[in-house]
Amino acid sequence: MTAATLSLAPAEQEVTSTDEAVAPDVPWVTIVWNDPVNLMTYVTWVFETYFGYARPKAEKLMMDVHVKGRAVVSNGPRESMERDAEALQGYGLWATFEKDS
Amino acid sequence: MARAFLREKDHYVALLESTERTVLLGLMQQTRLLLSPEIEPTGDAFDDLVASMGLSLSAADQQTDSASLDDRDPALDRLLPTAHRGDDEIAAEFRRLTEEGLRQRKSGNLDVALACVDGAVGNRVVLDEAQAPAFLMALTDVRLLLGERMGMRTEEDAEALHAAMDDIDDDDPLGYAMAWYDFLTWLQETLTHALMGTDLRDVVAAYDADDVEDDLEEDVDDDEGRRPDGTV
Repeated sequence: MTAATLSLAPAEQEVTSTDEAVAPDVPWVTIVWNDPVNLMTYVTWVFETYFGYARPKAEKLMMDVHVKGRAVVSNGPRESMERDAEALQGYGLWATFEKDS
Repeated sequence: MARAFLREKDHYVALLESTERTVLLGLMQQTRLLLSPEIEPTGDAFDDLVASMGLSLSAADQQTDSASLDDRDPALDRLLPTAHRGDDEIAAEFRRLTEEGLRQRKSGNLDVALACVDGAVGNRVVLDEAQAPAFLMALTDVRLLLGERMGMRTEEDAEALHAAMDDIDDDDPLGYAMAWYDFLTWLQETLTHALMGTDLRDVVAAYDADDVEDDLEEDVDDDEGRRPDGTV
């Protein structure tokens, strides 16, 4: 925006409306982080058991955690990601949720 | 000598010797103590209802700042880790809403596991279909606690700890802790395989408790099958 284009709306309102326009399209994600304790087989079992993922997908995600240090294991609205993170922590995995960037 | 968890019809059975069961019970009890919820199931309908919703009403948990977390046992940060990296406010709110429920579920798993080990007939530890996942999760939390106590927070820590076993004194408690940690890792691995229905032939199906001392001297890298090289 140039200086010549004057807006009568308060700055705060502009920011808010921008956020509202973007936020619904930005899904949240659940991330599982690598740790030295959890077993590869166990992590695969958790992904199968909790998400119902088929073994190839569960193993792929497990390997991503192992090799890359983290993996996005699910995405969707914030409430669902909070539920997933809580459940995975119940299994002893180091799970977090955040807005996808 | 311990025998791995194997599927027997609709049950999972391991053979654990008296010493192994005693140590397992002790470690599970310590983990259970650390994770004890604010509100144990009381029989009081209202308290239990509130507790079942995972809401803690204790004054300490009403704080949303992180100051109250600074002086708590670091092992709790591993068993009940932050759920948001980068936004302490979101993390604190999540913790306030979920921690009590997580403590209850984890404690419940440990209660199930403790009862299974305690109820062993002879050396037979028997789990039914519902108990097996609880046992698996309980083993995870015990290993997380033991790992944290040994300073195992990164892959590098784990490798350094295993490497240090070569030179460790026979009477160093860390050596015993590590040997039991490896035992628990092996036990969990076998139960996971049994639950997943995967082939056990590639997994060492027996574990000799007498090797616990040998482990302190052996190069664990040569000790295939018992080294927890299957960690993520």
